[in-house]
Amino acid sequence: MPKIWVLRGIKKGILTNEFPKKKPTAEEIPGRAVPPVATTNSDWVSGEKVCPTGAIQSAPERRIDMGKCIYCQRCAGSGFDFDVSNKGRVKALQANVNDNNAAEVVAKRLRIFKRSFHILMIDVGSCNACNLEVLNLSNPYYDLTRFGIFFTNSPKHADALIVVGALNRAMVDVLKRTYESMPEPKLVISAGACAISGGIFRGTESFVSPIQDVLPVDVVIPGCPPTPIQILEGLLLAVGKIDKEAVLH
Amino acid sequence: MIHKYVERRQVQEVGGPIQLSSIFRAGGHSYALLTDTAANKTILSEVPARLGKEFELLLKGGQAPPGAPIDLDPGSKVEGYGLFTFRYGPVTYGVPEAGGFKLVTYGERIIKVIPQVNFKKRLVENKVIGWKPEDALLLVERSAGNFSASYSTCFVTAVEEALNLDVPSQAKWTRAVAIELERIYNHLYVFGRLAEAASQNVATAQINALRERVLRLNGKYFGHRYLFGFNTIGGVRLDISKEDGREILDSIRTLIREFSDLVEYFLSSRIFLDRLQGTARLPKQDALNLGAVGPCARGSGVEWDDRLTYPIEPYGDIYINIETDNGEDTMARTMVRIREIQSSVVVLRELLDKMPHDGPRLEPSSEYSPISSNDPADFSFCRIESPSGDLIHVVQLDEQGRIANLQVRPASLVNWIPFAKSLENNVFTDFQFAFESFGLSYADSDR
Repeated sequence: MPKIWVLRGIKKGILTNEFPKKKPTAEEIPGRAVPPVATTNSDWVSGEKVCPTGAIQSAPERRIDMGKCIYCQRCAGSGFDFDVSNKGRVKALQANVNDNNAAEVVAKRLRIFKRSFHILMIDVGSCNACNLEVLNLSNPYYDLTRFGIFFTNSPKHADALIVVGALNRAMVDVLKRTYESMPEPKLVISAGACAISGGIFRGTESFVSPIQDVLPVDVVIPGCPPTPIQILEGLLLAVGKIDKEAVLH
Repeated sequence: MIHKYVERRQVQEVGGPIQLSSIFRAGGHSYALLTDTAANKTILSEVPARLGKEFELLLKGGQAPPGAPIDLDPGSKVEGYGLFTFRYGPVTYGVPEAGGFKLVTYGERIIKVIPQVNFKKRLVENKVIGWKPEDALLLVERSAGNFSASYSTCFVTAVEEALNLDVPSQAKWTRAVAIELERIYNHLYVFGRLAEAASQNVATAQINALRERVLRLNGKYFGHRYLFGFNTIGGVRLDISKEDGREILDSIRTLIREFSDLVEYFLSSRIFLDRLQGTARLPKQDALNLGAVGPCARGSGVEWDDRLTYPIEPYGDIYINIETDNGEDTMARTMVRIREIQSSVVVLRELLDKMPHDGPRLEPSSEYSPISSNDPADFSFCRIESPSGDLIHVVQLDEQGRIANLQVRPASLVNWIPFAKSLENNVFTDFQFAFESFGLSYADSDR
């Protein structure tokens, strides 16, 4: 019997999720932190004490910097709430208006990329998890191409640069040259806690600086690593296909 | 300290089945960790008088400072008319990581490969000195994201041994479950990349869909898609109950059934097989001489699996089958990975069925104190069969129970030289297949 791959593919049916029309399920974003329900000052102070990256700040104003959060869940014991229970199970996502966890547009938003958007991923010192999550966007569950977004191999073809990892001394020059060889107009998306703030690698010998100190960053996507849905959200935000208020909240 | 699974004897010369796995310093003294691949034993010895040239290269790759890439040059200089050195990386899609190669080519033919590592050296081992083990764990498990369960388990087991903690069995069995899940998704990744390189688009999509399902399973039961943060010193954070175990097993069983079905399809596709068969041959003798580990060594007929060489609990209590293949080429390494995915379901069944339920972790107390800390030469170590092979952590703690010394020997670091050797005299278009079949990760070797 001839083995026909195409028929096999059709037989599987549609796996692709309906993001951004529908909210992602808990299964698609496991371990995503929701903002703290901690209200007492002592909760915030103890949270600040246990946080290994300094993402929690109790004074002068209470805030969580999601760009620094590495989702270690240490603060979960001290009044902060995660959507992962102590059993390690995923609970349903809770909507919260103060959630600054979602991807954030830092500067401009270019609508000219709405129909065709070519992205190049550059690793400047990641642990490989962010790389895999970015590559995961091409699997049938997320299917990047339905939005007209494509991976490209060359900076000359790229409209946007996705930077992952804590910027390493050996990669500074490579990163700058890659950015310079991209044609205008161009966007820079920094994905993952390491790229945004150095994350847990902040303070290692080889770490240089957050990406926004080297390149003009347009979109930041927090997470350690950000899940494909979060990256997808960031990409759609970059091309102006969704508004920030419309997703995830 | 007495290492339960280790034979202590002096080895004079490395060669044949005796493999040098790691050299480390502890308390001003150098030790060598060797593996007897024939008898499946770990040997601890003084440093042998004669080391292979390749090992010196690896030490160079392992101890280099950050800031500049270094070449792992596997052999003598090649020169001649018509030779062209082609630089590949560090920004490519073919290698989706910061790392590169220098390919010395003559026309289509690759004469020599010089892997370039150290583009993203993060020096985790230096950074964690003086840290509490719990804090160091956060860095260690983020050294190589896709081998995170192996890294954290290896580190945590070594620290627990140094602290002499009596960790509940359930924690150890849960860790083994995580490592098997990690093995499945990493092998699926390799297989997907191979299919992608052969332009089998439907097949790639199907394999990637399977991998996504394993990642979601990780997320559901371990709280993180890449298994970060489930380990702590003294146990695991989560409690896998009997029902959870049954659910995990059911999902994995259906998944493996679909995978086996796909594999049957693959193995009847001549287009795919032609790219794998005979590509990047690594003869058994070379694999032994160059110290290949993991599926690469097993694809060359070397029967070596750390789950048997260093059988920490629970590997002593369950049946582990070493999957080997004598093909010595890319096909053989792929077949080893396929069979390991399939036999992982057997291992998982045993792990989840027989898992004792005596609590997931020790409650933190002030009793965590290093033992016999007066002896500065005192160290502990652990070996774990990570998806790419043998991973070694050597840990020393000081009087306060803080990290005094951490040395990591990742699997990928060792496999660069066998990979470079195997690719010699292959054509340029075989590069992707050879590279993916070795399952090499720059994050792993540049930890």
